[in-house]
Amino acid sequence: MSDLVYLDNAATTAVDPRVVEEMLACLGPEGDYANPSAVGHAPGRRARARVEQAREEVAALVGADPVQVIFTSGATEADNLGVLGAARFYRERGRHVVTSRTEHPAVLDACRQLEREGCAVTYLKPGLDGIVAPAQVEEALRSDTILVSLMHVNNEIGVVQDVAAIGRLCRSRGVLFHVDAAQGVGKLALDVERDCIDLLALTAHKVHGPKGVGALCVRREPRLGLVPLLHGGGQERGLRSGTLPTHQLVGMGAALRIAALEMAADAARITRLRERLWQGLATLPGVTLNGHPTRHVAGILSVSIDGVEGESLLYALPGLAVASGSACATSSGEPSYVLRALGRSDRLAQSTLRLSLGRFNTEVDVERAIEAIVAAVTRLRAIAPGSGT
Amino acid sequence: MSDADPRYGAEVRARMASLAGAGGFAPSPDVARGRAGDREHGAEVALACRVIAGRVTEARFQAFGCPHLVAAASWLTDRLHGAVREDLEHWDWREAADALAVPPAKFGRLLTLQDAVRAAAGNWPGATASTV
Repeated sequence: MSDLVYLDNAATTAVDPRVVEEMLACLGPEGDYANPSAVGHAPGRRARARVEQAREEVAALVGADPVQVIFTSGATEADNLGVLGAARFYRERGRHVVTSRTEHPAVLDACRQLEREGCAVTYLKPGLDGIVAPAQVEEALRSDTILVSLMHVNNEIGVVQDVAAIGRLCRSRGVLFHVDAAQGVGKLALDVERDCIDLLALTAHKVHGPKGVGALCVRREPRLGLVPLLHGGGQERGLRSGTLPTHQLVGMGAALRIAALEMAADAARITRLRERLWQGLATLPGVTLNGHPTRHVAGILSVSIDGVEGESLLYALPGLAVASGSACATSSGEPSYVLRALGRSDRLAQSTLRLSLGRFNTEVDVERAIEAIVAAVTRLRAIAPGSGT
Repeated sequence: MSDADPRYGAEVRARMASLAGAGGFAPSPDVARGRAGDREHGAEVALACRVIAGRVTEARFQAFGCPHLVAAASWLTDRLHGAVREDLEHWDWREAADALAVPPAKFGRLLTLQDAVRAAAGNWPGATASTV
């Protein structure tokens, strides 16, 4: 593992050792492992205190009140709870939802479920740079629109949407605004009050926290209704039943607390690494940057490389852990629908690499990645028909 | 636990490492050339066979495609050594599929290789009609 350069931090990140340490304190026989709902005894109260501290840490990162934070199993569940829960609760008010074609499947598939339940969904097409203009959202709003759902940072190409402008627009029109912030949390400043976000989906594992835990921040005033997805013990104000996993929540709280403290320094360092990576790859002819050239998160670089086949390119990079142009569709082998939506051909989409940097990447990693990719591309192009060999 | 990708067998890995047979020949009347596929569909192969006294003495390939296709093209350059025109006319992609343990999902890619082999047979030195 030590020889491998991990550049797939948009898929998931290593848990920060500081986070691991705090999580371990909740696991063993001497730890705070008790059920946080069992407040009738001291161990339960200690676990509850840890959960509430984590809730405060999550809330603090996004300008929310702790009572707004509903813990979930991750961003997928938070997205589903936000989109389905709100649309179902307000179905008598309206049955139209606006989203974009480049959302994560957690939102797109939830929207398709709403269509099966009788809702109409407008799928906005971003510009070729991946940006959804607020004017597009405004144009799509109808008298029966109840919800707009857009992601803060795109998971494949890293572009950053102007959620503040879209949030203000939605608030002025009385439409709920849901934001999938899985890729942006801990990397870019976000404030649910300032940015008029009614529902904010978060996860821990994209920002050096554990997998299997996330949260939905729900607007408090005026109170927003949701139909829960899970039914059971009534935890999380009845919106998400299930025993709270103390160690996971503590891990999320710690990860987001650390992210808040180190966000500026991490972003500056990772921006430099990404820029060096792009400069190094841009020396190859036929390399195209995907997404807006400046409105992007620090850690994600998506490049399409003409003249090589995607699977062979990945095969030729055994020392790199990177994602292909299939990204979230890798199991299907289909070209990325995000890249297709940006006008990339299937061939170019399949010869796309998503390189995503994280807190633990170094300059050495970046230089090794550049060297490996340039060598692999050169070798594969040399054997392609018409190469002149 | 091995880090090796189980989608690729030993022969594919060896061929991808060496790329044996990659390249082409300078223009010459004793070379049979065949080309098939296109990049838009993810598979393109160009095959060149030097023919002396009616037999392939050396074959080279160029390929754009997945590792299974590239490896199969490399393997084929060895397989065709000594072949006569009829061998190329009747060559079947299943032979490469078996030799390289190619998964069924990739069989279509090997048809591109078969098309290139048969196109080379059609361009056999001395043949009257060219298909390239």
